Amino acid sequence: MANNLLSVGIDIGTSTTQVIFSTLTLEDLGGRFTAPNIAITKKEVIYRGAIHETPLLTHSLIDTQALCVLVESEFAQAGLAVGATDTGAVIITGESARRENAAAVLQHLSGFAGDFVVATAGPDLESRIAGQGSGAQAYAQENAAHVVNFDIGGGTTNVAVFDCDKLTATACYDIGGRLLKFTPQGQLIYISEHAEKIVQAIGLHLRVGDTPSLADLRALAQAMAQQLERNTNDLLTPNSTLLFSGGVADCIYRTGHEVFAYNDFGVLLGQAVRNSRLFGYRVLAPQETIRATVMGAGSYTTTLSGSTIGYTHADLFPLKNLPVFALSPQQEQEAFDHGKADDFAQALCDFVQQTDATCVAIAFAGKPSPGWQELKRFAQALHQAASQAQLDADVPWVFLAQHDIGKALGLAMTPHAQERAVITLDGIDARQPDCYLDIGKPLMNGQVLPVVIKTLLFG
Amino acid sequence: MTQDMLVDLIVKAILEVQAAEIATPAALEHTPPASKSEVTSARIGVGRAGTRLRTDTYLQFRADHAAARDAVYNDVPAELLQQLNLPEFVTQCKSRDEFLTRPDLGRVFSEQTAKAIAAHNPQPCDVLIYAADGLSSKAIAANLENILPVLTESISQQGLRCGKPFFVKYGRVASMEQVAQLTGAKVICVLIGERPGLGSAESMSAYMAYAPTVGMPEARRTVVSNIYSGGLNAVEAGAYVAEVLGRMHREKKSGVELNEA
Repeated sequence: MANNLLSVGIDIGTSTTQVIFSTLTLEDLGGRFTAPNIAITKKEVIYRGAIHETPLLTHSLIDTQALCVLVESEFAQAGLAVGATDTGAVIITGESARRENAAAVLQHLSGFAGDFVVATAGPDLESRIAGQGSGAQAYAQENAAHVVNFDIGGGTTNVAVFDCDKLTATACYDIGGRLLKFTPQGQLIYISEHAEKIVQAIGLHLRVGDTPSLADLRALAQAMAQQLERNTNDLLTPNSTLLFSGGVADCIYRTGHEVFAYNDFGVLLGQAVRNSRLFGYRVLAPQETIRATVMGAGSYTTTLSGSTIGYTHADLFPLKNLPVFALSPQQEQEAFDHGKADDFAQALCDFVQQTDATCVAIAFAGKPSPGWQELKRFAQALHQAASQAQLDADVPWVFLAQHDIGKALGLAMTPHAQERAVITLDGIDARQPDCYLDIGKPLMNGQVLPVVIKTLLFG
Repeated sequence: MTQDMLVDLIVKAILEVQAAEIATPAALEHTPPASKSEVTSARIGVGRAGTRLRTDTYLQFRADHAAARDAVYNDVPAELLQQLNLPEFVTQCKSRDEFLTRPDLGRVFSEQTAKAIAAHNPQPCDVLIYAADGLSSKAIAANLENILPVLTESISQQGLRCGKPFFVKYGRVASMEQVAQLTGAKVICVLIGERPGLGSAESMSAYMAYAPTVGMPEARRTVVSNIYSGGLNAVEAGAYVAEVLGRMHREKKSGVELNEA
């Protein structure tokens, strides 16, 4: 019985690449007198890798070869064999996600790091895991507080808003410490497109090769900080608590850095943020600054299904990259009320063709406390839709409910499924756009399945 | 101790603390942030008016207490039993008061009733499921209709013979011992109303045992508690309990022994 999972987090950011390993401890919180309630109760980081520069071939190409060597060396440093991990995530963040070979790099690394290590990208996810890795979510949950995490990295700033235990908003802006690069003497050697726009907007003249005045650079940093203020104005409440993570955060919380200590704009940007109105809110120090994202990737991407679920065969897993088809509340209601899938069966067929996937997952909310008859009608509707989708006979039907109905739904599906494998999970809300799902091997005597919900968007 | 009893204790402790506090003018109308109350149904952070509870909190408290009393003193509606086609057997208790004061009588049946129970299930079965009012008729009224069909269907799907269910009035958990003796069922499951708390009066438990015998240790019972709309919902509970029953039948044990397997 696996009570511990070894998880790897690999973050390929705009400027840095990092690897961490952590162990996730699983425990049954249900006790002996209720149904099981298995949860990840502890996340312990067992190895923190060094902070490496992300290896690039050209400005738009990541050096896959060098990256593999780098990751391999971190496995060796940690004393772990490549592939020894049970779970984890490779995430490509910030400007790196926009480089030409981002998708290929991700796929390559995830395969190489382990059986159930997922490749992922996308600004929403990035914001969320940075907020989890920095400790913002835990703080919001423990203190029933409204907490906003700003992860200011090399290329982008990812904002995540947590209200108590809920993630209520995410945002991503092109503001970061590596939008401008300098020589140690202060000569400008690179400026990003977005920084260029701000430069023009505030009427400055900065050209690559120049050595701009400190006053001009401070003005630019201030303009960026103000942009951040304005954009996040609606996300903040007077009672919000703010945390800053990411590489630039070190320059926010600690002063006294040399201006070009990192040959970039980070120190100046950090100072400008410190002097901005954002510091008029309550500000706390995060648990992690530059490592927040990699911590999030390593410790927070794996979630567990509910503890009373259904699956007909144990040898189906891992299932990877299942596109998720979500039912609308109306479609769901119709299915519960009349047992009919007429208004989404066709959409599901189209979805299967569009995604060109052999296996898809159907997601819905379900009901917190359904009647048995209505659940049977719902199962009938799902059967109708799944049959029309004409998936191959050896492909399982996968259903994901948010509310705790997985096992009962599995039971209701049994008469319909006949020979086909059916997986009915609950405790998972995957009803979001462009969402994919990985399901790992059963854990804790087969009572739960590890699940990763992810996006694979490259922008 | 059930969750509800724990909640009651916590509420009591909080009320005492609140009463002991001396109100300052600024704290006279202290309202907690709304989001906190979503975390738990326990009466914490409910605010106060001076040294007392706020009126709505107090009324809610009285209403919940009344609901708990009703759950204990009312009968399971006869229409529900009719609709589910469940005959009613009464233990040796002659009234609700006797049921509450004489736990020993809530476990046994008169000779005549015993014969009727045996006649209701003349063939020995693999799994026998029945309901009992216990300490909350409301719990049975709220959950039985949804859990019973799930259980019987799932037991049959597992290829086991499911006995004919029935209802026991003034019944306690340990009535399963005599029922097993009378019917020869291998695995017994009694769905019974839990002692109501201030959180909910609708919570039901499923107590189960493999071949229970009179005088057996309590450790041989398995229980799944907290079955109601705010805990584990009835259909999901049914699917889970059916699985546990199947395992009991397969492994020929229950209670602590089953957990240790």
